[in-house]
Amino acid sequence: MEKIKVEICVGTTCFVLGASALQDIEMFLPEELKDKVEITGANCLGLCKNSHFGDAPFVRINESIIVSQATIDSVINEIKKLVK
Amino acid sequence: MNGDETFIEIECSQSIKTGESVCGDAFKTVRLDDENRHIAVLSDGLGSGIKACLLASMTTTMALEFIRKNMDVLPSAEIIMDTLPVCELRKISYATFSIFDILSGGKVRVIEMDNPKFIHLRNGKDVQWEAKTMVSEKWPDRKLGVTEFKAIAGDRIICFSDGVSQAGLGSPENKFGWRRDGALKFIQDVIAKEPSVSARELARKITVEARSKNPEYKYLDDTSCMVIYFRKPRKLQLLTGPPFNEENDKIFAKRVLSYEGKTVLCGGTTANIISRELNRKITTNLKLIRISGNLPPPSQMDGVDLITEGILTLTEVCRALEAGKLYDLPLAASELTNMLMNSDVIDLIVGTKVNEAHQDPNLPVDLEIRRNIVKKIKYILEQKYRKLVTIKYY
Ligand code: FES
Repeated sequence: MEKIKVEICVGTTCFVLGASALQDIEMFLPEELKDKVEITGANCLGLCKNSHFGDAPFVRINESIIVSQATIDSVINEIKKLVK
Repeated sequence: MNGDETFIEIECSQSIKTGESVCGDAFKTVRLDDENRHIAVLSDGLGSGIKACLLASMTTTMALEFIRKNMDVLPSAEIIMDTLPVCELRKISYATFSIFDILSGGKVRVIEMDNPKFIHLRNGKDVQWEAKTMVSEKWPDRKLGVTEFKAIAGDRIICFSDGVSQAGLGSPENKFGWRRDGALKFIQDVIAKEPSVSARELARKITVEARSKNPEYKYLDDTSCMVIYFRKPRKLQLLTGPPFNEENDKIFAKRVLSYEGKTVLCGGTTANIISRELNRKITTNLKLIRISGNLPPPSQMDGVDLITEGILTLTEVCRALEAGKLYDLPLAASELTNMLMNSDVIDLIVGTKVNEAHQDPNLPVDLEIRRNIVKKIKYILEQKYRKLVTIKYY
């Protein structure tokens, strides 16, 4: 199965609004998910310029799912939904 | 000069005698742009600490002014010697000096008093110029040496205080200290291994090596080394901000492809533009966040030497440059500062489109306008670090 791609935005807006705390997602991933996801950093995803996506920090999953005001918990929850 | 002529890189590495709080050697340099002239002065004040620092600083300041105003050498030196305060303990007033006056076309005049004789390296060899000696009637025991020659591209001039030449004094390997010859040999070895080593790096290597000759790795005296390098300029372009008109995105991309020198992109949007135009991928190693400090981590793209976040990183770099504190910086800022320091000619390419996201009142920090911060960086790089800087807005 292809890995779930998780992009954490580390652009200016996301960074100052807390993206740096998201780096630890990897550590908090439940064991069974660890080899199913690939986590990378990304430049500004362009979402912060458009209020319709909600507030930064943003995480993008599989190029399409957008988690706004992302926290470690909310991102892991999204990932869990995909695995089910 | 324009960016393609020989660039004159002048750097000095100084270390304070272990246990003192200020350096008793002083170094000053200016670039007089309208005359295409550089003047550099290194002085070593008698003793160490505040007193020495004062003597040396007064000497460099006066010497620089007199030379800049083209005053005659002997009277200038007399004024310096007359003016220095007399040390109560030793009943003398004293500071050595070496003055380097570099005129347009590479004509060099060196005026020395009591510092170790300067080294002029050409193709790895120490060119030994004959110095003309001058003696003041007032101060018959202070001899001035005046040397004149023409420097060519690739030449280096090295001058140090006796903290370098006397390093290791009394040790079995260096009974009489490292001496000029020992230092010369070391410098020749460094250059043989690294032919284009910068003035900054060479000066640093020499002071560090001098320290290693001393017992317990201490600086037993104030230790200064100045290097002047007549070099082909090292160029760097820094692109930041999206162009106001999108048609100019192509110009940005072309610059990245054709620039002869290093390229830095500051800003996610800028990087995304280049990535799109050149169809090259950007990768960000998330692992770096951990060691990135309070800035977003740098990312990578083929053909680009460094990609950083924009405004936060530039602000941090500006602050560091202004304070002269170039170490212990967050990763991206430290990489960028290093690259700036290791360049002679810096082209700042600024896109002026305003980033709407930064106008968001919810942001917890004040993000300055890119244009202002870049202008400030230019000013500091020119004034404080003697770089040649251009700015272009799109
Ligand atoms: S900075 Fe994250 S979407 Fe713009």
